[in-house]
Amino acid sequence: MKMTKIYEGSHQWVMFGRDPHRPEKIIDTNQYMVRTADRCLLMDPGGIELFAPMLAAVLHHAPVEEITDLFASHQDPDIISSLGLWDQALPNAKLHAAQLWEGFLRHFGCEAIEYLPIPDHGGTINLGSVELQIVPAHYLHSSANFHIYDPQAKILMSGDVGAALEAPGAPVFVDNFEAHIEKMRYFHQRWMPSNQAKRAWLERVRKLDVQILAPQHGRMFKGDDVRRFLDWFEALQVGIAV
Amino acid sequence: MQIKQTKSQFVAVASIAAELSAVMEVAKEISLAAANAKAIAFRAGEKAKGFQPITDFINELAKDTIGLVNNINDYAFLLYRLTVNEQRLAEACGRFEQVERLARGARYAESLAGPLQQARQKAQAGRREFTIHVAELLVKLAEVMHPARAARVIAANSRIEASQAGEYLQSLQAVAESVDNAAQIINDKVHRCRSALTVINLAD
Ligand SMILES: [Fe+2]
Ligand SMILES: [Fe+2]
Repeated sequence: MKMTKIYEGSHQWVMFGRDPHRPEKIIDTNQYMVRTADRCLLMDPGGIELFAPMLAAVLHHAPVEEITDLFASHQDPDIISSLGLWDQALPNAKLHAAQLWEGFLRHFGCEAIEYLPIPDHGGTINLGSVELQIVPAHYLHSSANFHIYDPQAKILMSGDVGAALEAPGAPVFVDNFEAHIEKMRYFHQRWMPSNQAKRAWLERVRKLDVQILAPQHGRMFKGDDVRRFLDWFEALQVGIAV
Repeated sequence: MQIKQTKSQFVAVASIAAELSAVMEVAKEISLAAANAKAIAFRAGEKAKGFQPITDFINELAKDTIGLVNNINDYAFLLYRLTVNEQRLAEACGRFEQVERLARGARYAESLAGPLQQARQKAQAGRREFTIHVAELLVKLAEVMHPARAARVIAANSRIEASQAGEYLQSLQAVAESVDNAAQIINDKVHRCRSALTVINLAD
């Protein structure tokens, strides 16, 4: 599993992805971690197949007892089907996930981990030295969907928004926005169902100072590419690819 | 404990549940046959006097069987839950071992030792609990055989009584026949449950 530090301040952000052991037919995913002095949040920790390489990678940064928080942007298997395994591995963890999905996500196994239901309007995740915002992103693409914004690091973890279908081993940042568009178009047209939801999200996100937009598939957007992405997404008609 | 084993365990536990619901159906049939026989014996009057207490007895047996099976169903459900639990733990142990291999040299690799040990202990405890419940279930299944066996004896008696029932001979004989058949089916099904359980125990 490749690890890339994307922010270093009073806390750290690390992106995990491009796992070379990933079985071929499984979509490649990016996992994100916020590490403080004594706590650790994993965002969209991934599917069952990814559990072992993911935890092995995290163990370079934190012991299991300090992995205190998990966040699932929505209920998809590539996001959180590993929950039942984290449930056995983490002695002190809480899961932040949509209230709407609680009865569904518990099918993955969630007994030791405490489920903290996120209401529709969002909320915060307090890791002690840093407070993260839970930003609503409903219907993008899941009916109850959230993103994580870190006002200190100016990073927005955007779940499936900004996702791209890439060749294995692709770079972790977009380096040529124009060339990247074709890798994103189908994903957004097909998986994102609602122009209305898209506009509501854009309005919310444009008010935030975002230096890095960090999606769950494909590459991250940095600096001006964040604005380019928002403009492109705004102009794109979604929910029409059938 | 392997994942392959819990798979065959799932199949075994599921087939027990299936056999049990079949036993239930048959027990209900017996109960119906008893009610039928009672009506015929009533019409036959004096000629089927010896038959009347038998029909009551058949009905009792059917009720006993239904009660026992209900009780056993709870056991089967418990075994299913224990199997799910075991499967989860087996999966966790396997994945944790994979993490240990992949995390060799990682700064905090050691921290997973606790959860791994715990998962192994829970898996062992679950297995022990499972084995105990399987043994208890085997005893309960033996109990279901009793009314079924008694029903066969009674069916034989019924035939003798039926032979004295004149024009009702045929219908009463048919009742005896169907009770005998049903009892035989229950016997077979319960046997199958027991051998399914034995397979699990042997795999241990
Ligand atoms: Fe998704
Ligand atoms: Fe996804």
